[in-house]
Amino acid sequence: MTHILLIDDEPSLVAVLEPVLGAAGYRVTTAGDGASAIWRAGAEQPDIILLDLGLPDIDGKDVIRNIRVTSRAPIIVISARHQEGEKVAALDEGADDYVNKPFEIGELMARIRAALRRSSSLLHQPPAYSGGPLHIDFGERRVTVGGEAVRLSPKEHDLLVALALSAGQVVTHKRLLAVGWGPEGADSQYLRVYIGLLRQKIEEDSADPRLILTEPGVGYRLVTPEGTGEA
Amino acid sequence: MTVEESLIKVRKRQLHPAIQQALVTALVLTLSALAALAAKILIGPVAAALIFVLGITIAGALGGVIAALGASFVAFLFYNFFLTDPAFSFRLASSRDIAPLIIFNLCGLVAGVLAGRLKDHAKAARRSNLQLENLLELSRTLQAAVRQQDVVMAVAKAAYHIVGAKISIYRQTSDGLNPLDAPPHDPDRHALAERTLAADSPTREEDGRMSRCLKGSEGNLGVMIVEMSHSDKLDPTFVDALGNMIALALERATFSETIAESRASARAEELKTALLSSVSHDFRTPLTAISASASSLITYRDQLDASTSAGLLRSIVEECERLNRYTANLLEMSRLEAGGGLAGLQTLSVAEMVGAAIKRIRPRAGNRPIQRCGETDALVNANAALFELVLLNVLDNAIRYSTDGSSIIVTIDHVQDHCVVTIADEGIGIPPGDLERVFTRFHRVSRAEAAPRGSGLGLAIAKGFVEAVGGTIEARVPGVGNAGTQIVISLPAIPEDGQ
Repeated sequence: MTHILLIDDEPSLVAVLEPVLGAAGYRVTTAGDGASAIWRAGAEQPDIILLDLGLPDIDGKDVIRNIRVTSRAPIIVISARHQEGEKVAALDEGADDYVNKPFEIGELMARIRAALRRSSSLLHQPPAYSGGPLHIDFGERRVTVGGEAVRLSPKEHDLLVALALSAGQVVTHKRLLAVGWGPEGADSQYLRVYIGLLRQKIEEDSADPRLILTEPGVGYRLVTPEGTGEA
Repeated sequence: MTVEESLIKVRKRQLHPAIQQALVTALVLTLSALAALAAKILIGPVAAALIFVLGITIAGALGGVIAALGASFVAFLFYNFFLTDPAFSFRLASSRDIAPLIIFNLCGLVAGVLAGRLKDHAKAARRSNLQLENLLELSRTLQAAVRQQDVVMAVAKAAYHIVGAKISIYRQTSDGLNPLDAPPHDPDRHALAERTLAADSPTREEDGRMSRCLKGSEGNLGVMIVEMSHSDKLDPTFVDALGNMIALALERATFSETIAESRASARAEELKTALLSSVSHDFRTPLTAISASASSLITYRDQLDASTSAGLLRSIVEECERLNRYTANLLEMSRLEAGGGLAGLQTLSVAEMVGAAIKRIRPRAGNRPIQRCGETDALVNANAALFELVLLNVLDNAIRYSTDGSSIIVTIDHVQDHCVVTIADEGIGIPPGDLERVFTRFHRVSRAEAAPRGSGLGLAIAKGFVEAVGGTIEARVPGVGNAGTQIVISLPAIPEDGQ
């Protein structure tokens, strides 16, 4: 049974999420502050961690950094703060994804599933990605949309693969820039241009993208067919 | 009776200086004439003449050049009439008598004029000294003037002392010239001010009024009008000096008023930011619980057992109530904000405010006695509703973090020119390391999981309010006895004499 560690200091939210996640088939343990969260993450080795950023004792980013010392479990950040800076900082510290408050339960579940899928795919990389009309053969570097082959430049292909390997999860500008332009990174303007080109090739209507969604100020997210996340 | 009225009265009681002078001269002459008559009979005519010369010298020393000239003329007639032969006649007995008469006259004249000039110089020196002193005094007062009204007050007072003149100051604003003091409106004076400003003239004189533009670093600040209460002429250089000084003080006062205004609006802005970000936090948490509960009930209806479903429904109702409470709070805050942040400042009795807050919170206090300690009161300048909210927030914390039956003590004190409100409880206290951080937005002290939780906002709003009105707030331990917390709010008190 998949084990979720829920770290939240709002009793009212814990009171809702704990039984619902339980009913959805997860085993749930909870922590109400950063210190006990860090300890539990190390001692209990949960499969996935939900972390509310506004903890009373320790700053959310420090909690993530400390958890990452002992655990590689995916971390999904729950944040009431809509400041992009906070989210990007959390993702840079090692969080895998985030949901904004308030969220619907379906959105949270989709994020959890995407995170679990990715963490299992880290162990044995799948030979291909398939989601909706989009199919990517990683070995042969072949991309088809609705069965039709799409010709991508090497950089476009690398970006799409990076998004697909984290399908359903947000991928930050910083990570995508590193994939396309090396660790030195580049102007995020380049990234915007290449994502635009990619959308023209794989989206039905590049002005109304359905596959590669923009997470304003944070990064991009490749939509998985089972849960668009925002739906 | 105002300063101005009493000054007018003093001036009226004094005789006109010229009449006073003439009386003194006449008295001196009469005395010396009597002495001369006596000397002529007892000693001889030479002594009588010398006594007359002495009399003229004294009259000159007391009255100045004009008095000396007048005295010597009268003395000449008197000497001729009474003292030379034949007595009681202006005729002279012999031509030999003319020489002593002329010599006597010349002696009297020279001595009198010299003494008179000395006197005049001394008088002028004393007067300019006095003016200088008064100008210095005025400049000291103007240095201390913070507001434009202070400048006007200082100038009006000094003008009476120095020259007995009335000075009006007109300030140039975007909607024309406005008198800075509030005298009865005088269309003539106003018209003169307008003309002076239009002509941009340094110092001009019209019907006994002197007017002058007040020049600041960025053009004309306004116009000064000097009205004399008697016909004395004012030294134009003195008026210039006065004008420059007033212009400088006005400009400085204007600057400091602008700075004070911009500081106030910056504080209001800070408070607004604090409120906005708290709103976003306080609303999102219950909304998240509601959204998660409701969507779970829809999505997992079949998987959830009856008690879980009931719990989710209950949490929806509870969170809606919480949202409702926040909304009420928010409305109260935005009502305050509508006036431009701290625009609603008014003089408040601290004891009354504390009393009202305790009354309002008592229903929520359970069995905790809330005691007022002492009878001290103080007046502060604050926004009534916000001040009450702050007291409620602090009292609410005292209740929330203490057990039923423990006491809460509220004390009002004077510490120098501040009013200090201390709210002490017997609750679980604050770890020393958290004493400063409790005022940070959304900071909540780490507790066991069962501990109650606030929005992490109450003290942040308290700090925002207190600092906006120029006070301080701090948390100390312990509160009552060896347990709990005390929150110490210090606000600038209004002095009792109302200054």
